[in-house]
Amino acid sequence: MNPGERDAGHLELIIGRVLRFGTATSSTCFAVGLSLMILGGGGALARVLLPAGLIILLATPAARVVVSVVEYVRERDWLFVALTLAVLLALAASVGAAFL
Amino acid sequence: MPPLTVSLAFIIFAAGAVAGGLGIALGLGGGILLVPFLTLGLGFPLKSAAAISLTTVIATSSAVAAARAGNQLMNLRLGMLLEVATVAGGLLGGITAQMVAESTLQRIFGFVAIVVAVMMLRRVNRRNVICDPNAEPGRLGGRFYDAESSCVITYRVRRLPLALFASFVAGNLSSLLGIGGGVIKVPILNAWCGVPMRAAAATSALMIGVTATGGAIIYYGRGDLQALFAAPAVLGVQLGSWLGLNVAEQASVKWLKILMAAVLIAVAGLMFTRSTGS
Repeated sequence: MNPGERDAGHLELIIGRVLRFGTATSSTCFAVGLSLMILGGGGALARVLLPAGLIILLATPAARVVVSVVEYVRERDWLFVALTLAVLLALAASVGAAFL
Repeated sequence: MPPLTVSLAFIIFAAGAVAGGLGIALGLGGGILLVPFLTLGLGFPLKSAAAISLTTVIATSSAVAAARAGNQLMNLRLGMLLEVATVAGGLLGGITAQMVAESTLQRIFGFVAIVVAVMMLRRVNRRNVICDPNAEPGRLGGRFYDAESSCVITYRVRRLPLALFASFVAGNLSSLLGIGGGVIKVPILNAWCGVPMRAAAATSALMIGVTATGGAIIYYGRGDLQALFAAPAVLGVQLGSWLGLNVAEQASVKWLKILMAAVLIAVAGLMFTRSTGS
């Protein structure tokens, strides 16, 4: 058995939960926000819900990487801690490139 | 960029549904269809179309990976390793997109559309799996239960540098053009790196979400991505993917593929014309 193989199923399930929660939340924000826009001609709530849905959508894969880092630390699999941290670092660099 | 009206929201929603449905049925992301529709059909700048499409890529990736979690088809370790390359490529692509002209992006899109059309017509699917549960998958390989052949399939990953390079290119084009990039790396992982088709597709589906996120953040920060346009596209693609999963089995995939290849060639032609003309 490989290092980490016994826990691979465990990490997969956590990742599945994070992704399901993120998708459901952002889609709900989008659906409610759009419905309000169409029905009410655009209210203050829609103006909050639509960007919130977008930010949750963008945060979901990042959150998936964060829980992977935590899980690899728990498994003391330092190579994969470094790899997942590198992915997070690149995402942080995207934020830097976007807003600086 | 066109102003958002109720009818435009419905058009984007419907386009997302069609792109998502066809994407699922044909095993490629919807982005390669959604981007040309938004830019050639609705008049969005290519950068905005790519940004909107990236949000649908993220939503699809998250939904598909969530559904797959638990059956060991996704190779998490291989995925997390290759992600370093795709995200680096995506970061570079996102920055590049801010600097190159619209006409250059159109030419690149046209070229990639032709490559995708050709890839789709000649399906690479060599047998490269070991049907022995005791075989050693190595540090990056994997094993999963394949219902079709009812055996546990074990595989090793070969030619890792090639897999990393393909992932980098896929990530780069993902950010630049608003596509998922699976269409570039899945055939390479399958044909040259020893990863069975279904495992390669599932692993790629996981990776494209985080890859597209890097690019989408850059577009968002630079003002090319508006939630108002992303929302109907994302909801449409989700509906389309759901329909595609439930209807795809009845449809004739062979003719769909030939039709899609024809559409992509036409898209490429239009992109080339636009890049030189207006």
